[in-house]
Parts: sequence; structure tokens; C-alpha cells
Amino acid sequence: MKYLVAILVAALLAVLDVSVMQYVEILGVTPDLVLIFAASWAVVRGQQEAMVIVPLIGFVEDLVTSDPLGMSTLALMPIVLLAAATRLRAVDTEFVPTVLVVACGSLTYGIISMTVLAITGQTVDWDQVGLRILLPACLVNALFTPLVYLPVHTFSGQDRSNAIGTRRLISPL
Amino acid sequence: MRLVWWLATVVAISVFAIFLSEQRMLDPVQNLSLTVSAPASGGLRDAARPVDDLFRGITDRGDIVQENRDLRQQNEALEQALAQQQDAQQRVRELEEALGVKQGQPEDQLLAANVIAEDTSGLKRMIAIDRGLGDGLDEGMVVLSRGGSLVGTVSRAYEDFAWVRLITDPDSTVNAQVVPAPSPQGSPAASDVIIGATPTPQPAGASPGATPAPTPAPTPVATAGDQGSSLRGVVEGDLRHGLWLDLLPPDLTLPEGSLVSTSGLGGNYPRALLIGSVEAVEQRPQSPFTSAEIEPASSLSGLDTVLVLLSFTPARLTEQ
Repeated sequence: MKYLVAILVAALLAVLDVSVMQYVEILGVTPDLVLIFAASWAVVRGQQEAMVIVPLIGFVEDLVTSDPLGMSTLALMPIVLLAAATRLRAVDTEFVPTVLVVACGSLTYGIISMTVLAITGQTVDWDQVGLRILLPACLVNALFTPLVYLPVHTFSGQDRSNAIGTRRLISPL
Repeated sequence: MRLVWWLATVVAISVFAIFLSEQRMLDPVQNLSLTVSAPASGGLRDAARPVDDLFRGITDRGDIVQENRDLRQQNEALEQALAQQQDAQQRVRELEEALGVKQGQPEDQLLAANVIAEDTSGLKRMIAIDRGLGDGLDEGMVVLSRGGSLVGTVSRAYEDFAWVRLITDPDSTVNAQVVPAPSPQGSPAASDVIIGATPTPQPAGASPGATPAPTPAPTPVATAGDQGSSLRGVVEGDLRHGLWLDLLPPDLTLPEGSLVSTSGLGGNYPRALLIGSVEAVEQRPQSPFTSAEIEPASSLSGLDTVLVLLSFTPARLTEQ
């Protein structure tokens, strides 16, 4: 059931991405709600669920974009690894790790997408993409993380008081 | 170990899916997904547009007032040009009748399509339209704005939908020609296009900024009308500039506002489709070509309706 809900939410966000988000252009890029959702789910719900849901979310995203099917699945894959790495963290919160996973995931997503596009014969402007697309995408997606993270956190049945997690610092060691 | 197996499986499935997608074997799946999502995305776009207009109206008010003033002036100049053109057309008609010749121009057959989605990845500039193979579309067909300027080409066509590659996409290349901006007197201004201006030989040791010695014959200065065929270049999509006109002859002075249209070379686009106007010219001392940044004639973000030119068959389709 939870997987079905996640796929439906991902489908809705993917439709929002291609329809409404074009009007929300910041620093020349638009926020990728699907990527933020995948990262939030992976951090909040854990690696086991992320290993199932993140590839499905990628597949859903490709269905409504012009990308070849499978590209987003491949490009979102590092998010699962990044989410696993956030187990070693120094703060008692899932919010900060989620923001970090979103930022780093945006970077890896862009690099893998560009590689796939280049392999499939499309022109990729490697000189321009780093400064004009990848870095702004990291910032903008990180900025929009609370919009997606908070509902995911709330519906995961976790304590609302530590959603942002400003209570204490813990040592990863 | 489990993670390694997961990684290997996901990579293998993804690569296989990409391969199938490139072989067009998953087109029915993508057509079906667009069929399901199109009503929702179309509705959301329509709902979001007024909100976007409202915010833009508030934040860009000063720019809009200035732009409105500029557009009024431009409109006046265009009306004047139109009146002259109508007069010229009338004269052509009279001459054709007098000579007994008539060159018929077939009416363009256009198909209107609604934009239902836009690729927002930033790596590409694509829009999805609600027309596909079933409506007579084919890949490579030319897509125009409602005003008739060039928007892009059909990049991928499914049964009921199609993705259009905008001219601002990095993969887009259009053979183009430059039409000089009209001067108030109807003749080219002094700053208009100068082609083939032979660099005056500098005496050895003279600094580049020094006044050149007088030459016996004046440097040939030509207008675009005189050298129409040599004013051709290539318009490419560019992530930084949007549209970039390249491969223009060196030693060329282009006034801002010069119109850029398709040249028809290569046969993939009909001749004389408006692309945009020159916004800024770039001339580097070491570069063998002149380049220019182009402002697209139609606003390519936020398009809601486009026209597909069915009556023109691009060369890439006739070769198949």
C-alpha cells in the first residue's frame, strides 16, 4: 500500500514538474519535486524501502518527460547510496541529511543524465551545464526541500517535534 | 553484498530500458502515459498561468511599462513598413498582370496544437504537444508560433502526442540569413551591414589603434541587399544565450534589431521564417567568424498553442 501511495505521489509531482514548475524558475532552473521526494523518502523511510521505491519513482518521472525510459531510474540511483551514508550523522534530525542528499543527488542526477544524453547522441553543452544548470539545481532543490520533506516526515508517523531537529547534537562515533 | 546486487540489477534494467526506448519499442507506453497525464498537466498549466501573470505583473511592472513604450514605437515603424510592402505588392501584381506571369504560392497547411508539458530538466528545451502521428505529424516537421515565427521541430512523435525540440535547445541548428534593420529613410544606415571590408594594411610597427593611412579607393561597403547570399549563418540553441547566430562573415557590422530568418538551405526549413532579431554582436579578434546573440521572435517559455506546418516536407523526411 505504501509503495502505491509513493508512486501516486511521485506521478502527481512529475505532472506538476512538467506543467506548473516552469513558472517557478529561480536562477535559471526549476525545482525537481520528484527528486526531492525520492531523497526525502530515502532518508526518512530508510534504505530498504528506498531500494524499491526510488527506481520506481525514476520510471514514473520518465513517463511524463522527453527522456528515454530508464534514464531517471539510473540518475536517481545514487540517492539511495547517499541516504545510506547519512546514517553516520552528527545531528539528531533527518532534515539536514535530507537537504544534503537533495543537493548532492541533484548533482549526480545531472551528471548521469548528461552522460546518458551524450551516449544517446544528443548534444550536451558540458562547458555551460556545470555553472548554469547543476549548481543552481543543487541550491534550488535544497531550497524547496521543506515543501516535500515535511509532508513525507509527517505521514511517516514520526514525531513532529524533531522534524527539523534542533534539539541536540549527537556524535556519529 | 545485497547493495551491490541491487546496484547491478538497477543499472542493468535501466540500460536495457534506455536501449528499448531508443529503439522506439516503448513508444506505446509513453503515449499511454501522456494520454493519462495530459488532461491533468494541461489543466494545471491553464490554472497556473494567470497566477504567474499576476506575479510577473507585480514584480516586472517597470520593465513592462518600458517594454510597452518600445513596442508601441516598434508597432508604428512596422505599420509604416507594412504600408510600403502593401504598395510594393500591389505594384508587383500589376507588373505580373502586365507581363502575363503569375507565380502561385501554395497556401500553408497548418495544424494547431496545445502545449501540454514542458521539459524542465534544464539540459534540454522541449515541449510536448497534443498532436501525434495520427494527426499527420512526423518527426522533423516544422513548428511555428501563433504569430508564424519559428519555434522548433517535431523531435519525437507518438500516436497522439509529440515532443517538439525548441530552437533554443542545444541540439537545434537552423540555417539562417540576416535581414538588416530598416532605417528611417528606407535606405541602409551608415552603421548597417558592412561586408567584405578589406582591412587596411597597417604599416609595419604601427599600433593597431593608429589612424590608418588614406587609401586611394574607398573600402567597399555593401548592404545586406547587395550581398544577401553572403549574409548567411547558422542559428544554434545555447544554454547561456538562448539563441546564438554563428558562422557569419568576418568584418561584419550588424545593427541591433536586424531580423534573422531561415535561409532554406539544407531543405529542413522553408525559407524566410522569422527566427528573431539581433540583440548583441560578438566579434573576437582571433575568430574567423562573427557571432550574435538572438532574441527569439516569440516567447518560447510559456507557449500555450503552436502550429505545425504540415504542407512543408523537410529534406530529412524526403530522404527516408
